[in-house]
Amino acid sequence: MSSSIANETVGTANAKEGITLHGFLTNTWFLYAVSLCGFFFLWDRVAYLQIFGDSLARPHVVAQKLYTLSQVKFAGTNLAGHIWASTQRVLIGFGLASVIAVPLGLFMSLNQHVNALVKPIFDLFKPMPPIAWVSISILWFGIGEFSKIFIIAIGTFVPCLLNAYNGIRLIEPELYDVIRVLGGNRKDEIFQVSFPASFPAIFAGLQISLSVAWTCLLAAELMNARNGMGFLIKRGMDTHDPALVLGGMVLIAAMAWLSSLLISLLERKCCPWKRSIDNL
Amino acid sequence: MTTAGTACPPLKIHCEDISKTFIQKGHIGVPVVRDINLDVEENEFLVVLGPGQCGKSTLLRIIAGLETPDTGYVTLDGDPVTGPGPDRGLVFQGYMLFAWETVMGNVEMGLKLRGIPKKERQAIARHYIKLVGLEDFEKHYPHQLSGGMKQRVGIARAYANSPKVMLLDEPFGQLDAQTRMYMQHETARIWEHEKRTVIFVTNNIDEALFLADRIILMEGKLPGRIKKEYVIDFPRPRDHAHKSILELRAVITAETELVL
Repeated sequence: MSSSIANETVGTANAKEGITLHGFLTNTWFLYAVSLCGFFFLWDRVAYLQIFGDSLARPHVVAQKLYTLSQVKFAGTNLAGHIWASTQRVLIGFGLASVIAVPLGLFMSLNQHVNALVKPIFDLFKPMPPIAWVSISILWFGIGEFSKIFIIAIGTFVPCLLNAYNGIRLIEPELYDVIRVLGGNRKDEIFQVSFPASFPAIFAGLQISLSVAWTCLLAAELMNARNGMGFLIKRGMDTHDPALVLGGMVLIAAMAWLSSLLISLLERKCCPWKRSIDNL
Repeated sequence: MTTAGTACPPLKIHCEDISKTFIQKGHIGVPVVRDINLDVEENEFLVVLGPGQCGKSTLLRIIAGLETPDTGYVTLDGDPVTGPGPDRGLVFQGYMLFAWETVMGNVEMGLKLRGIPKKERQAIARHYIKLVGLEDFEKHYPHQLSGGMKQRVGIARAYANSPKVMLLDEPFGQLDAQTRMYMQHETARIWEHEKRTVIFVTNNIDEALFLADRIILMEGKLPGRIKKEYVIDFPRPRDHAHKSILELRAVITAETELVL
């Protein structure tokens, strides 16, 4: 069969009709299932055969551990409490940073004086890995909530600002010509072109920031915390409980995935004009 | 070179001794256009023909008011042009549609910027969307349209602002040959339907012969100068392969090759 678009469509339609062995084996969902089953099987075998000694828990043990934690209190609160403690830190830190960084980034790219004032300081701090702030923030703010939020805010600030800033700087200058030729002024250029055109870049910045936020959270909680998912991982490590460590890892991945999904949904709502890319 | 109209229809655009030099890399001056004198009559379809890099787009941007000439001036209806304005509609080579607006949002933009109420401006926009044949695509976003359709939106957007002069900067340069030919027919149809003074920049001689009342041939190198001028009075609608058009095509081609 030749591979024109028309034939491909016909091919897809045929595949839905009858089930052939080849069709079944090459079915995408079947392959997804093979991939996942294979992974869990391998994990289970490696754990069962104690290739890493007793430091790798079998998948069902991890699931069991998480279920138990959701039922009983552990270090003062149950599983939901630990998840919420971490999520709260991320939400506050990330929220604070984005609320300041995005407008500042937009402002910097629209006004060269603001840019000249802020850019040098920003460039100075930009290459600093956010986790480098962990120790100094504990020295400054102690081991309470504030130092954790501070680290998250510092870490998320940079990508938020950078993307908002570049989002406007990369706009095709001729688009401003269109506004001017149509009779618009500088204000129209900003509101009709600069802001809407920078939306996708701002959202890309928020996505990056969010993944940085979870990283920073984990670093902060591993250093010192009395609750949260990072605390569970740390406690699992200290008490040699691999199921607890892996459980914490799974949870934090799930939360990071969920929050990134929420941003994607928000973006789809705000930018219905954006070409959507599958599987991204 | 001056062009005094024989029957003297009202003069729309007048360019007097326009020269422009761009400064590159700080200090090297590149003369782009030099000593351009040009008159365009009301409702005339003027085509500026020249190869790439001959200053024709810069000339158009000067008329649009997006560039200021170093010497000389442009007048529109006798008033000097000092900057861009809604009395001159510009259609861009790269379409330059607002990706975040629908077809309707793009076409009504000029009217929106001028504060015309939503209902009124959408009625006007709808008229021009229909004129360019996109009535079924009002709610589509630019990325859902083909190149030819995008430029129809560009044309409708410029038209909807009811400019006195339409400026088109190689509008079909990015289209394939088939679509380009089709868009030329569409341009002629739209222009017959709602006559405007048009300045159309192109590097395509067939396009020029098909559309123009008059062709301005530019020199093939910088700085851009007007080399020759041809009045095209073949009846419309025209046929690309008509004998007299092909004869004139040979004459203009010979003239072009001399400079290249």
